[in-house]
Amino acid sequence: MKHEIPVEELGVRGPLMADPIAACVHCGFCLPSCPTYVTMGEEMDSPRGRIFLIKEVLEGKLEVELAQPYLDNCLGCQACETACPSGVRYGELITEFRGRVEPRRRRPVAERARRELALRTLPHGKRFRAAARAGAVARKLRAAVPRTVRPMVDLLPERLPPARPLPCRFAAQGERRARVALLAGCVQQQLDPEIGWAAGRVLARNGVEVIVPAGQGCCGSLAMHSGEAEGARRLARRNLAAFPEDVDAVITTAAGCGSGMKEYGALFLGEPEEAQAGALAGRTRDVADFLYALGLAEPPPALACPRRVAYQDACHLAHAQKVTAPPRRLLSAIEGLELLEPAEAGLCCGSAGIYSLERPEVAAELGERKARNLLATGAAILASGNIGCLTQLQSHLARLGHPIPALHTVQVLDRAYSRTL
Amino acid sequence: MSALLATDVAAVQEAVRAGRPLLPVAGGTQTATHPDPAGPVRALDVSGLRGVVDYDPAELTFTARAGTPLAEIDAMLASHGQHLPFDPPRLGEGATLGGAVAAGVSGPNGFAAGVRDFVIGVRFVDGSGRLAMGGGKVVKNAAGFDLPKLMAGSLGRLGVMVELSLKVFPRPAATATVRFPTAGLPAGLAAIAALARGPVPVSALDLTPDGAVTARIGGDAGLIEVRAERLARSIEPRGEPLAPAAESAHWEEARRFAWVGADERLVVVPAAPRRVLALDADLHRRGLHRRYGLAANVAWIAWPQAEPAAELSDLLAAQAASGVVLTGPPLPEPLIGAATGGAFARRIAAALDPAGIFAGSAPAAGGAR
Amino acid sequence: METADLFTELRSLGLGERLLTGDAQLAAFGSDALTAFHQRPLAVAVVESAAEVAAVVRLCHRRAVPFVARGSGTSLSGGSLPVGEGIVIALNRLDRVLSVDPDARTAVVEPGVINLAVSAAAAPHGLAYAPDPSSQSVCTIGGNLAFNSGGAHCLKHGMTSNHVLGLCVVLPDGEVVDLGGDSTEHVGPDWTAMFSGCEGLFGIAIEATLRLVPIPESVRTALAVFDSLERAGDAVAAIVGAGLVPVAMEIMDPLAIEAAEASVSPGYPRGGALLIVELEGEEEVVEGELAAVEGLLRDCGCAEMRTTADPDERALIWKGRKSAFSAVGWLSPDYIVQDGVVPRTRLGEALREIERLGAERGIRVANVFHAGDGNLHPLILFDGREAGAVERAEELAAEILALCVELGGSITGEHGVGVEKREYMKLMFSAADLALMEDVRAAVDPGRLANRGKMLTPPPPAASRSAAAA
Repeated sequence: MKHEIPVEELGVRGPLMADPIAACVHCGFCLPSCPTYVTMGEEMDSPRGRIFLIKEVLEGKLEVELAQPYLDNCLGCQACETACPSGVRYGELITEFRGRVEPRRRRPVAERARRELALRTLPHGKRFRAAARAGAVARKLRAAVPRTVRPMVDLLPERLPPARPLPCRFAAQGERRARVALLAGCVQQQLDPEIGWAAGRVLARNGVEVIVPAGQGCCGSLAMHSGEAEGARRLARRNLAAFPEDVDAVITTAAGCGSGMKEYGALFLGEPEEAQAGALAGRTRDVADFLYALGLAEPPPALACPRRVAYQDACHLAHAQKVTAPPRRLLSAIEGLELLEPAEAGLCCGSAGIYSLERPEVAAELGERKARNLLATGAAILASGNIGCLTQLQSHLARLGHPIPALHTVQVLDRAYSRTL
Repeated sequence: MSALLATDVAAVQEAVRAGRPLLPVAGGTQTATHPDPAGPVRALDVSGLRGVVDYDPAELTFTARAGTPLAEIDAMLASHGQHLPFDPPRLGEGATLGGAVAAGVSGPNGFAAGVRDFVIGVRFVDGSGRLAMGGGKVVKNAAGFDLPKLMAGSLGRLGVMVELSLKVFPRPAATATVRFPTAGLPAGLAAIAALARGPVPVSALDLTPDGAVTARIGGDAGLIEVRAERLARSIEPRGEPLAPAAESAHWEEARRFAWVGADERLVVVPAAPRRVLALDADLHRRGLHRRYGLAANVAWIAWPQAEPAAELSDLLAAQAASGVVLTGPPLPEPLIGAATGGAFARRIAAALDPAGIFAGSAPAAGGAR
Repeated sequence: METADLFTELRSLGLGERLLTGDAQLAAFGSDALTAFHQRPLAVAVVESAAEVAAVVRLCHRRAVPFVARGSGTSLSGGSLPVGEGIVIALNRLDRVLSVDPDARTAVVEPGVINLAVSAAAAPHGLAYAPDPSSQSVCTIGGNLAFNSGGAHCLKHGMTSNHVLGLCVVLPDGEVVDLGGDSTEHVGPDWTAMFSGCEGLFGIAIEATLRLVPIPESVRTALAVFDSLERAGDAVAAIVGAGLVPVAMEIMDPLAIEAAEASVSPGYPRGGALLIVELEGEEEVVEGELAAVEGLLRDCGCAEMRTTADPDERALIWKGRKSAFSAVGWLSPDYIVQDGVVPRTRLGEALREIERLGAERGIRVANVFHAGDGNLHPLILFDGREAGAVERAEELAAEILALCVELGGSITGEHGVGVEKREYMKLMFSAADLALMEDVRAAVDPGRLANRGKMLTPPPPAASRSAAAA
């Protein structure tokens, strides 16, 4: 699409926005893939519409405040990138635009407070656990909780599982085939520490030495995808320091973290750490992607009784990282496991980082729609590759009265290996 | 009144510009659509506007003047292994291309291929005497209003067609026909639904009121018998392939509508499978000869000439059905039954024939009322 | 003031919040898939029922406000470009398949139904909706029928209008009329077909009865590589000449293949012009036809050939083909896609000439097209930031269209005239032809409110029937 954006004025980061806009041909192939277009049915709530609005804002033809509500509606699921025949990097565009606009933005006090609360709590284990305890109290007093914070309270789990910090190393079993560093993940460590353990065990069983570098922290994705670029860089710098270079890969188990770390290059564009960040991004691999490429040393033993498992693509795995086949192939390697595909597989479940806190109605509509599609498969277990999605789905499955277990792909493998699936 | 003769386009324009009511005629086979010789509307005989203008077999299209006899076109296409897939009814020796398009109805072998699907271009003289062109000579064309398709079924009431371009298909090298001994109309309709959706694509699918189904396939000679057998077995009770001589005779007779008596009119009524039972009950009550063709998408009705067409019109209107009377003595309005097109039709007819030259009663006005 | 009144009235029809009037909202609706044109409308009415469509149109008629119907906004000819002083009626929420009759093989749908959704609804009955524009995953039936859309598989099955049996339409004054019915046959002039392809000038369809076709027992796809486009074109002519009717025959040149590979990696054989031939029908028949096609391809000098019956592989082949236009976004910042038609026996000649014209101007032209129908889609690549590049590309586009008409073809096979090719109508049609079309349009819509500015050039003030009749 032709544009009159003053690219030079945007500096070194300008192309992150100008290039996707130039590449977009406005064909509309993205419309049916977009969760907000599918539910809201209006052009400005489509990827194509948003790209156009950003173009108009950057060209100075439209006030940014007028475009903002529609840009805020975007979940950042990047399903549109999968659908796009022209290779538009929408994710980079929206992240960059949000990062540019957010610092100058005047949000209502309550909204800003909620944002701060979320972004300052979720990435930090201790604060998160404290919040969860507070949340348990708040739930009882729901009516007294300010409206803006209620979605947060609703999302906090009834009870957090006991903390189980990961060991600093999982030794490879048998011949060592690879050596990797694992990102423990901040939210995931609190909500379901079992996932990290399962990843370590499954990798180790397949001949991979796994180290869990000390000093690592939140990857910064939540902040990055919410327009808080500076906050994201602050968090990411810790990981630049913590993760070693002498590993075959840096493994992520949460799709959102994986996609965020793969964007470190763009995050640090024009910063002193640009090269180092790009290198770390290049080493980052999702656990299923890495494991499938390496090949299972031996498949898990056949299941004693057959299991029907529905696999749900996490947007940040399927659309942002383009990893769709590996988790499916790994699950299919389990004899006795029947893999099921839900309808509308490519559609976001509504979790999307802190989106479900900021846009609870949209998130709930998508969550319920997703849960219904999953239940329609008749699966007994749900598998996915992102803690946010697993939490959102579990919550909506329970609300529909069908609390079937929702497990990470590596948890399914781990349980199959230990004959506990 | 004696017919006017036009052997070139200028003569057609002149006749139209004279400003008196007229209707184009050519081969004289679809007589019900002609003006009454005793009435105020004159016939404009365009059978002199004949001859193929352009035919490149490799292109699978041809252009011919409207008065060109179908027999000439059939022979031309056959010599290159092609045919008109909509199989226009051959109601007599003189049937012309223009007449086939003006009637706009398919014959028994026109399953899944209506007349309109094959008319790609038209030149015609409108009610103001303008010579205009719509469509073109290529098989795919989205430029301008689809006037060629509009002319399919227009009965000469929207303009005098002078030249037509059509697309054609290869003619199957061999054909075979299977007759199914289905008993009763509901069973026949069920058989038709199954066959039309079955794995063996058919080119004709006829049904008689007693429920018997006749299906035809075409294709490579080497496979035709095996496929006919497969078609025969595809439903229960199974059908029996006809002997080759019997099969070609059957369809030759069918496209001539030989079963319609000399004292009856052929009336073509579009239908849909789910509407056939109700329609048939009424037709049966009147003791009419009828057949259902094109997978129960059309009812062919033989209506006694002695009885007023208005009665059939009422019968159809009550079923929300419409029809066109093709044979028998001229009728002031050969379109009968429920009106179609409403205001849209009236407005377009008013644009193309503002003075009401063509029979003074555009079918657009809808219905035989 | 008057605008405010109009908005109040529109809202009072029950639109409420669904009347969009904000700057950002209007900006987003300003273009369809042809971004060379952009026009913010006065307002957008997002309707949720057929009755609302009629009510909005009646109001527009009463207040002489132009209106433009829009589905998914995928027109490549600017067919749903808004009118500045008019409103857009967004039909995309009217997206229900109302019924499927498996015995009659028909479906009744609303205009905002996505093309592919019709086939999805028909699939459980072993049926499909045949017309398959490349944008079928997005484009709506309403737009398909307004522009008589085609697609790769139209070679055997025909265009949209061949598959529309009946319509319920809102005329430009708000009157609701039924056209056609539920039969493949019709009597009287074919009003349904006349409405199809009217580019919205006759009003808005609010319900359509569509013909469905049985899903074939067997489908085979052959990929053949030729060392030149001309040879690939000759192979198409040979297949047609041999009396075979494949369901699709498509050609892509190396540039188009490069784009498709960059986009969706269909894994096409490389090294020249690619011809895709698809056959469908009964198992044995398709086997025989495939053998015949293979023989013909070899005779025509095919360098490499591959055939497949695998549904996943076929899906990828078609995904590559159907993504090709947008995929050109990988190769060039801007492009013009053309839609000319030539008689298929003159394909080779046309392609040679297009190549020469492009070379003459130093402009890259990618070719990807429905070869079986002679429907060319030259993609003229340019960089709009270079001075004069747009103008040079447009000149070339005009020359290509003139060439198509000169060879006996058409300026558009399936994208429609829209705003884009209005000026080229006179290459194909005489002044009298165009005057007649304008008269027909004015008879249906005296105020010229419905999709103003598309297909027909606005007549000069004095133009009238008398001038045209001369």
